[in-house]
Formats: sequence, C-alpha cells, structure tokens
Amino acid sequence: MTNNGDMECCGPGYASPAEAMRAPREKLLYTVALYVGTGIHKPDYLATIDADPESPTYSQVISRLEMPGIGDELHHMGWNACSSCHGDPTKERRYLIVPGVRSSNLHIVDCVTDPRKPTLHKVIEGAEIKAKTNLSAPHTVHCLGSDIIISMLGDAKGEAPGGFLHLNEDFEIIGRWENGLGAMKFNYDFWYQPRHNVMVSSEWAAPNTFLPGFDLEEVGHLKYGREIHFWNFEKKCVEHSHYLGEDGLVPLEVRFHHDPDSSHGFVGAALSSNIIHWYKNDGEWIIEKVIDVENERHPEWPIPLPGLISVILLSMDDRFLYFSNWLHGDLRQYDISNPSKPKLVGQVWMGGLLGKAPEVNGHKVTGGPQMIQLSLDGKRLYVTTSLLSTWDNQFYPEIRENGGCMMMVDCDPVNGGMSINPDFFVDFGKEPNGPARCHETRYPGGDCTSDIWI
Amino acid sequence: MTKSIMGKRCTITLANRGGRSYAVDGDAPLLDTLEKHGVPLPYGCRYGGCITCAAKLLDGAVDQSAGVALNGRQLKHGYVLLCVALPLGDCTLDVGVESHDNLYRNPFQSPLAPEELKAGIRAEAHPVETPR
Repeated sequence: MTNNGDMECCGPGYASPAEAMRAPREKLLYTVALYVGTGIHKPDYLATIDADPESPTYSQVISRLEMPGIGDELHHMGWNACSSCHGDPTKERRYLIVPGVRSSNLHIVDCVTDPRKPTLHKVIEGAEIKAKTNLSAPHTVHCLGSDIIISMLGDAKGEAPGGFLHLNEDFEIIGRWENGLGAMKFNYDFWYQPRHNVMVSSEWAAPNTFLPGFDLEEVGHLKYGREIHFWNFEKKCVEHSHYLGEDGLVPLEVRFHHDPDSSHGFVGAALSSNIIHWYKNDGEWIIEKVIDVENERHPEWPIPLPGLISVILLSMDDRFLYFSNWLHGDLRQYDISNPSKPKLVGQVWMGGLLGKAPEVNGHKVTGGPQMIQLSLDGKRLYVTTSLLSTWDNQFYPEIRENGGCMMMVDCDPVNGGMSINPDFFVDFGKEPNGPARCHETRYPGGDCTSDIWI
Repeated sequence: MTKSIMGKRCTITLANRGGRSYAVDGDAPLLDTLEKHGVPLPYGCRYGGCITCAAKLLDGAVDQSAGVALNGRQLKHGYVLLCVALPLGDCTLDVGVESHDNLYRNPFQSPLAPEELKAGIRAEAHPVETPR
C-alpha cells in the first residue's frame, strides 16, 4: 500500500484535508501526452515526470506508457480510489483510469507495481461502452467509495446530453449510474459532497459540437452549455437545474470545498470567463457570480477575446482558488477566505494570445496556461499548455511544431503570491517521437482535484 | 447526395503521398479501405463526429452524409471526413494534417457567416442570441 502514512488500519488517501496537507511531497507526476491531431502517427501516452528536486532526472519525462491504438485523445483521468475510501483497508489507490475522449476507450493503468513506469492493466473498449450504455466521450472520473463513475459527454452517436457510466471496482461495466437527468442538456464535469447529499454537474457541449473545434457562432445557437445541475446524490437524479445565462456560458470544472461539511462550491464559466459560487442557506442553494474576467481587444480581430477559464481548482485548505485564462495567458490565485468576495493575490503570465509572455525563464511557451494541479501542501502548481487537439490547432497552430510544455509555479500558501519556478520546465516539443502536447496531471499520492471526503 | 453503388471499384489517388493510387470498394468508408492497403492515416472518433481524419478532396466526389462535424467553410475548402466518406467514383485527395491548412481558424479572428455554419445548424431556426 502506498501513501497511507502510519495509519496501517486504513485505506487509501487521508483521514482529512488537513492530514492530506501534511503528506510527503509529490516526487512523480503523471501527465497525459498527445499525438492525436499532430500528424505524428503514434499513440497518445501517459508520461511519468520526475518531480524530485534531489533526483538527477528532475524535470524530465522518465517513462512513457503508450496506449494500444492511435487517436484516443487522452484528456482527463482519475484514480480508482481516493480519500473517500480511507476507512476501507481493502482498498488501494492503484489504478489510474485514463479515458480517450475521441475513441471512448478507457485505459486502466497500474501505477503501483512500478510507480516510475506504469503499465497497462486493462482496456475497456469504446465499442463495448457504446453498446452497453449508449454513452460516449468519457470525461471526469471520480471514485464513489468502491465504485467509479465517469461523466460521458455524448450518446453513442456523439449527441448530447450523455450521462454517467458506472463501473465496479474490477472495472466491469455496471451500466448507467444516473436514474434521472431531469432537464440536463449537456454534460461535462462533476463533484459530489455526500454530507449534503449533493452532486453538481456542469455543461460543455455535445461531442459532435466540441470535438471538431470551437465554432463561437454555435454558442448563440444554444449548442454550448449555460446551466449547472444540482443532483440528489442518493437518488442519482437531477433535482434542480440552474440557468446561468450570459454570465455562465460554458460552465466547466466544478469544485466543492474539500471540507466535507461545507456546502460551498465553484464553477468556472469558460466563455463568459466568470467564476460562479454557490452555497446552501436555510436549505436553499444561493448561486452568485464572484469573479468576472474582462474580455480583451486584440488589435486585429473583430471579436473581443475572453480569458477562457478552462480550469479551476481549490487548495486543500479551501483558502485559495486558482484558475487559468487559456487565451489571455494568465494564471490567477484568489484568496477565497470569504467565498463571496474573492481577492486576487497572485498572477503570472505564460504564453497566451495577447503576447504578454511568449517566453518564460528563457523557454518559448506555445499555448497558454491550461490544466493545473496543486501540490497537497499548496506550494507547487504544475501547469500544462494544451486544451484539446482541435482547439489547440485553432488558437495555437504552432503547437504542432513546438509541442506543449509543463511549468511549475511556486505559490505562497500563507500570504498569497505566485512566481514561475526557473528550474522546472518539461519541454514536450523534444519528445523522442516528436512534439507532443501535455494535458491533465495527477500525483501518485492524491492531489487537490482527486480526493473527496465522505 | 447520391448513394454509393454497391461493389463499385474506385481508384483513390493520394496527391500528397507521391500520387500513389489504390483500388478500393465504393461501399466502405475511405479510412477503412485505405487502411487495408496499409496507408497510415489519422483518425479519432471513426463515426464522423470529429475532424481528426479530415482530408482535402482535390478531384472526384464522395458521399459523406453520415458526418456531422464539418462546417460550411470547411466543406467549401473541400474537406471530407475519411471515416464516413464513401467514394462516388475515382477521387484524388490530400490526406493527413499536411492537408489541414484551411481546416482550423481562430473564431475571434475570423468569424463564420451564417451560411458557413454546420448544415445541422443552418437547418434550424435563427440564432437565439448573439455571442458577446
């Protein structure tokens, strides 16, 4: 068993967020890397990166696990078990579930036999998922105690609204998890908070809409989401859909506080570039916009450029909210001690379309800050620059030649503040098979977007 | 669009692969039949819902009515989705990402005109709202 500290009686993860913050520093990172859409006829792969500053291979890719076929578009991923199973000594955080959003294949990767060189344990074919559940385009993976659910963004033909795939702990398809989608029009991310019997899910678009790339004009035709959904978690059905409208166009990552007693949560509306906050007051959900990133004018383009908040996360102590403006090129840190009144306390620039930081610490950056992952102690934020192959090709076409990169941002978890670390830079443009793009990152010991406490 | 003729043999020429030609059946998607000839081609969804396999049709005609992913501007540039495209006769194509010079655009830099939207949207009602 790994990362269980001295609590031998217990299962994976940590007894509390506070205990998670005291865990040993992450020494390895797992990041998906893509060849889909690049012209390089090779499978996407899971890259293992050395994050131990004492190691001679620090800041390098030390192993690569290729998927069996090409064209998966590895995207997001999740653990088979997290702190939600901490009370169960028979459980182990051993497998990463690594979906292909284009192929719908689910790759189950063993990260414990050799954490430095993960191996493929099993593949659930997209064709089997489509046949058994009429679902496609897997996205977010969360464990629910022993089982696993995955948000699926489309039906077998790539049309909305999709649903939720339910796997058992042996990675067999149980079927569809949900009992009722209510008025849900699209699917994307979700997070659950069991002590409030709630799950919140968000909306991107149908796979047939977003996989080919981003046609902005389709937003006005209601082909992209603008609602969030509050679920009765035990009954597995949507109880209330909240219309965010123009303030909430394309709501993506959903994060509840890690504190399992808290009802506070946030979602980033990518196209509106707003942060929406919710909490429960006298049994009623209050939903409010708390951050608004202004669009910027590009001198030669007819339409103002949104920040495009592609991801958000909360520090383990729920004190800071981080998000990336993939098109503007900045990463922001807000103090959310008062969740209704976030205070901007840190900001760094890397890449982006506004030309503010084409180079960082002597390295050319292609793309903008995109997926982020924070260390459990809140001090190191790892950032990658690719969003989705087709969207990369639209906004940052030079990524085909240059590849993506991973950077590390040093964060001050006491006073706030961020600075880009000069010693850590992983250049995916120099991968052995040619320039690749890197996306979501996870740590073997859990991270700030994996672990949920029940 | 006319449906392909069962069993009809077509000659597919890949202009940007040295002009090599392949004889294929007209009743299967070009991605499948070219793969059987050992041509390495990119793909993603394999049902016409993404544009990873897009190729540029330089000459000839295909039936790609099973595809939904291309917008009007991409169609105007001659793009076809090989994973669903059935040849309606001999065709000449540029394939792979080398053919993608006009496939991608930054929508804030170069918006689509209404007639350049995807066919499925053009068939629907007028836009409900204009994006800000």
